[in-house]
Parts: sequence; structure tokens; C-alpha cells
Amino acid sequence: MNCPNPSTAREAPVSFSALSARRQWPAEGFTRAPYWVYSDREIYAREQEAIFRGKSWHYLGLEAEVPDAGSYKTTYIGDASVLLVRAEDGSLNAMLNRCAHRGNMVMREAFGKAAKLNCVYHAWNYNLKGDLTFAAFRHGLRGEGGLPKDFQLEEHGLQKLRCESFCGLVFATYSGDTPPLQEWLGDVADGIRRVCNRPLKVLGYDTQRIHANWKAYHENPRDSYHANILHTFYGTFGLSRQSQESGMVLDKSGRHVYFYTKAGTEKASADDKETASALRSNNDGLTLEDPSILKWRDEFGDGVSVQILTTYPSFVLHQIANSLATRQLLPKGPGQSDLVWTYFGFADDDEETTRTRLVQANLAGSAGMISVEDAAVCEMMQRAMGDGATGESFIEMGGKDLDGGGNTKLSERAIRNFWNAYRQDMAL
Amino acid sequence: MELMHEQHFRAVENLVHEWARAIDENRVEAICELLAPQGRYTVKSRFNADRNLPIALIDAHSAAQLRDRIKSMRIANIYEPHHYRHIVSGVQIVGGQDGALDVRSSFLVIRTMELDGTMKIFASGQCRDVVDIYLGQARFRSREFVLDSRAVETLLVIPL
Repeated sequence: MNCPNPSTAREAPVSFSALSARRQWPAEGFTRAPYWVYSDREIYAREQEAIFRGKSWHYLGLEAEVPDAGSYKTTYIGDASVLLVRAEDGSLNAMLNRCAHRGNMVMREAFGKAAKLNCVYHAWNYNLKGDLTFAAFRHGLRGEGGLPKDFQLEEHGLQKLRCESFCGLVFATYSGDTPPLQEWLGDVADGIRRVCNRPLKVLGYDTQRIHANWKAYHENPRDSYHANILHTFYGTFGLSRQSQESGMVLDKSGRHVYFYTKAGTEKASADDKETASALRSNNDGLTLEDPSILKWRDEFGDGVSVQILTTYPSFVLHQIANSLATRQLLPKGPGQSDLVWTYFGFADDDEETTRTRLVQANLAGSAGMISVEDAAVCEMMQRAMGDGATGESFIEMGGKDLDGGGNTKLSERAIRNFWNAYRQDMAL
Repeated sequence: MELMHEQHFRAVENLVHEWARAIDENRVEAICELLAPQGRYTVKSRFNADRNLPIALIDAHSAAQLRDRIKSMRIANIYEPHHYRHIVSGVQIVGGQDGALDVRSSFLVIRTMELDGTMKIFASGQCRDVVDIYLGQARFRSREFVLDSRAVETLLVIPL
């Protein structure tokens, strides 16, 4: 579904030359990430401009969260408060949640339903598409006060963003030039199509406040190398092991990626045996008293037990057994990010299927028995990197180029591609 | 009901404090003994509860599932070492039926990081419990922690 193009012209790009002169990316290029990039305030400000207000599509939510005319959701793109609203004609509309008058937050509920968007400060009213329809005392009283005679309502709407949905997932962008959403996703659209194949139903939310730079988290689900090493729970219970059939799909631009693993497809090999014995994740001491939590159904009929899909710069879609969720990454200053998990099922799920999804929600999220390590690692990285004055990441698993490593999960190819895209956007 | 409140209040209050003390003293496994074998232990946010959304952060459908989670915490999960301090207040028996008591209390949990001593309010909220009394002994039939905030600081690995 297409929504109106932005009504306002893009702001002129600011000059970053002073910052670029001070900040020199390591000569090796995208196989290195200098630690200052995780903590520098100027870098953070530039990211807001060049990435979050730039050419990317940003996830806002599910169509199922705004089911009816007047349904709205408040969320963020980068630091900006954003509204997603369904209008009377069924269209999805994204706009800044910031009154065109004096900058007040227009809607202040996480979700709701409204006939119009009303700013409480001076009763400026907007319709569901963000057009200004009313400004209190516009003509003054008894011939005094009021707005200038040449005031035009249509020139003072909320700032509109371009908005599209794909398979029930709604994205928005500040850019009028970016290709349509599906084209922008490229081959990675297949991973979304595979999971979100019919109307969705929201099961609930979890916000995880991570005291680390947003990029430390963004790299994590792109990092297939760590999954079977750090996350003991996966390997021990056979949900995902390095010896299983697995792969990686990137789009042509290298900005988006998904990994998949098929449980029950172990292929024995000598080198796997040797490595596995050294891994903390293959821990024979760990058995579950009640393994029913791991009972899953191959609902998509392709044997994939885990699929982790990431789009640049701030969105994740996961299928972990029958647990399905989106994760929206919200930067909150250089040293903090909020990770908003939205758990969902399908509108036609029966009670037992819903129960299975709810039980498996124990595996992921802020208290996830599988995934709890990720936030801990991001925070430990952030603290160890400190002010970033020295040091850089070494990202050569699977090779030194963008294709190196092919489709194997034992590769940091998707991370190299991230830094490649990031440097393009940031002119670093 | 008045009589029942008088009769069982001490046992109920003691049970609520016993749970908190076991966790704060790093005897986390001991809470499983305070939950009925087929009992339910849930941690969810008020944000979801108020919207009738069923997702929970932690949802153990038996004492065995709670033991599994604690085992995972001890053996599998990676996190920075930290401790909790529970401040429990306002324990009230608010009703009851079928030999079980409906109990409410408030909690505040302060988290202290071992490495550098950073302290933070980690969680606050209300416990909505159902307590069985049998031969003068109290045990949780269900424990539901409803968190005031929709956000969790970093991670929730030690049960509340």
C-alpha cells in the first residue's frame, strides 16, 4: 500500500567535512570498525541525519496494530517521534508526531483510536492524514488577535513521511528517492514473505533497554558466527547447531540479510566434532526437566527451525521455532538503545498454536533463555571500547571482501557489508 | 473472610518474604519449593496486562519449568554478575475461594552489579498471587509479577 510522498522538501545535507578530517577510518576498510564510531556524539548526530532521516526504510509496526480507520501507533525513527495512522480510506500514513505550530507531541498514547489528531497545547487539529484542519482562535476574538490574514491551513500540516507496507509490516522513510520498499529489500523480501504469509495478530510487547550503541546491537543478528558459540541453549537442545544445514541470503546491496538453520539435519564431520568439544555451547550437563518448551511444529513446511532476518539499519524479524517477533532498534543517544520486541502469531491461529508461541516466548526477548546473552555482550563491548580513542574491530571471518565466505554461516560477510553500507551513507 | 485473614496472614506474609529472601541470598533454587509442582510463575508488564495481551517475559507452567530456567541461568546464560534486593511491602489477603487465598503485595527490586558496584532500580510492581494453605503450611498456587514499566533494564535472568 502506498501512502503520499513527503510534502516537504528534503533538508539540504549539512557538510561533514570537519568531522571527516578528524575521524579517519582504518585503511583496511570494511573489515575494520574503529571504536570511536560507537561512542562519538558527532557521529551519532550525523547518523540521525544521514541514516535515520536518510534513504533507508524504517520499520514502524504491523498493519495489525492499526486495524481500523483512526487507529494509530506512536513510535520512533531514530530520535524522532513518529505517528502511524490508518485513515478513513484504509491508507497507512506516517508523519512526525510533532505539532507544526510549536513542536508539541501530538499523540501521547502508545496506541489508540481517534477521529482526528488533536494537539492539546493550542488545539491545532489535523486529519488522519496529517493535514491541518483547525487552529483555535485562528481569526482572533472581536477583531483582535488571531493568525495573519495570509495564513493557509494547507501549509501547516504535520511533516509527512513516505509509508509502505509489505506482508503486513509497515515501513516509512524520509526519502522520496529511495526505491519502493519491496525493491529495496531485494532477495531478502523472500525471508519476510516466507514467515508473514497471512494476516497477523499481536501477542504483546517487550522493550529491552540496552546500554550500548545501536550499532553494537545491529551487528549482532547479522553475526551468524556467534550464534552457536555464545548461545549455549541453542546447541544443547538441538534447535540450531553449526553441523546442521544452514545458510545466509544477502540482497544485492548487502544491506539486508537472513540466516536460516534446519533442525534435525546434522551432518557429522571430523572437524565439527573437534570444534564442538571445545565449545561452551555444546554442554552435555544441561538437560531440561520439562523439554516441552522446545516442542515445535514445522508450520512453514520447509524444515527451517530458526530464521533471523535483519534489514538495514534497525529492523529484525525472527522465527525461533514457533516464536515469531519483530525487533525495532531505537537509538537513544550514543550509549543506549531500546530494542522493542513485538511478538505475533496469525489471525487464524487456534488456541493450541497460540499457547505454543507464548510458551516459546520464554526463549527470546529480555528474559529469553536463548537470547539473554546478546544484550550482555553489547554492554560489555561498549564498556570495554570506552571512549573509542584507540582500537578497532577485526572482521575477517570468511574473508576480506564483501562476498567472502559465500553462504556459510561461519562468516562475518554480513557485518562487512553493513560497514560498507554505513560508510557510504556516512561519507566516512 | 475476616477470620481467615487473621488466621493465615502470618503464614502468607512469611511465604512472600521467604521467596524474596531466597533470591536475594542467592539461593534461587529454593523458590521452586515454594511453588506447587503444577503451579504457575509469571512475570509480565503492566503495559501488556492492561491491553489484554497475553505475552509474558517469563511464564513457567510448573515448578519443573522454573527449575529449568534457573538451571539455564546457572549453567548456560552469560551476563554480568549481579544481585537483587527485594523490598516487599503491603502484603494483603484480598479474597479467597476453594481453600486458596488471593494475595497482593508491592515489590521494588534494586540491582547491584558486582564488578563496579553500580546500583539501579531494576523493577517495581505488584504481585498477584494465589496461595494454598494446607495443614497450616502456605505455598504458591500461582505467582504473577506485574511490572510497572514496559522496559527491562538490559536483561532479566535472575527470577524476580
